[in-house]
Amino acid sequence: MSVSIAKQGYSLGHGHDEDAHEQVIYQETRDMRLLGFVLFLCSDVVLFSAFIFAYIYLRTTVAPAWPPIVGGHQLPRLDTAFATVNSVVLFGSGVTMHYALENFKHAKLRGFNAFMGLTIVLGTMFLLGQGYEYAHAQIGGWSGNIFGASFFTLTGMHGFHVFAGVVYLLVLWYQASRGVYTKERYFGLTAGTLYWHFVDVIWVGLFFLFYLW
Amino acid sequence: MDLAVLEKSVATVGAIVVFVFALIGLKGEWPKNGLDDIVTKLLLGLMAFGCLLVLLATAGVLPRGGA
Repeated sequence: MSVSIAKQGYSLGHGHDEDAHEQVIYQETRDMRLLGFVLFLCSDVVLFSAFIFAYIYLRTTVAPAWPPIVGGHQLPRLDTAFATVNSVVLFGSGVTMHYALENFKHAKLRGFNAFMGLTIVLGTMFLLGQGYEYAHAQIGGWSGNIFGASFFTLTGMHGFHVFAGVVYLLVLWYQASRGVYTKERYFGLTAGTLYWHFVDVIWVGLFFLFYLW
Repeated sequence: MDLAVLEKSVATVGAIVVFVFALIGLKGEWPKNGLDDIVTKLLLGLMAFGCLLVLLATAGVLPRGGA
């Protein structure tokens, strides 16, 4: 939105229509904040891409066999069956987050609360599943071999993003319950939804690379 | 029942449900053209693709060498 419109809104603010003024200012800053948030997500894509390309390089160029041979024995593949369940849990949380935002946009607060709560529960379940997998994966530790190093680094980084996302969603839920967001002004929830979708989509890539490739 | 079979059954049902709801969400977003709507469409589409990957895994198509 152009600055001239913001100025128009500013002049309205000094007149009798404070709400219209605030709405125009909000709209302009919303667009800028949204662009900033999307750029933040792009920077996170770069971060993950660097590690993903390092993994692809190690797997295709450095290691003679995959999973690599350690101590004369080839490491086993990861547990794909369990990972499919954990992946569906995370993808499901992405869908529930989408519907939470849609419910909020249409002022359906009961639906919003239900879907938001479900999203947080599913996100937490994914983290617990990841913890279970860490405890049972027989691919050595973080520093044992390139498979373990790649797996724990990338999924650990992703897990940290999920953890941060769960905390983020809890804060957003609290703010929403305190009336911080309205039907017209809900940028925080939009950003939270985009972040959560982003975390889901990163997992699509990691799921393929570590379990299906 | 073998645990892996049970896990794959749960994942199959879950992936189909999530895939359908992701497509419904995508259909609702389709006419919108804001930056957030475009990013949402992209990410929902990729999430639906993730569900297809899960279905391929539970069907035994991926990984090619077997899990």
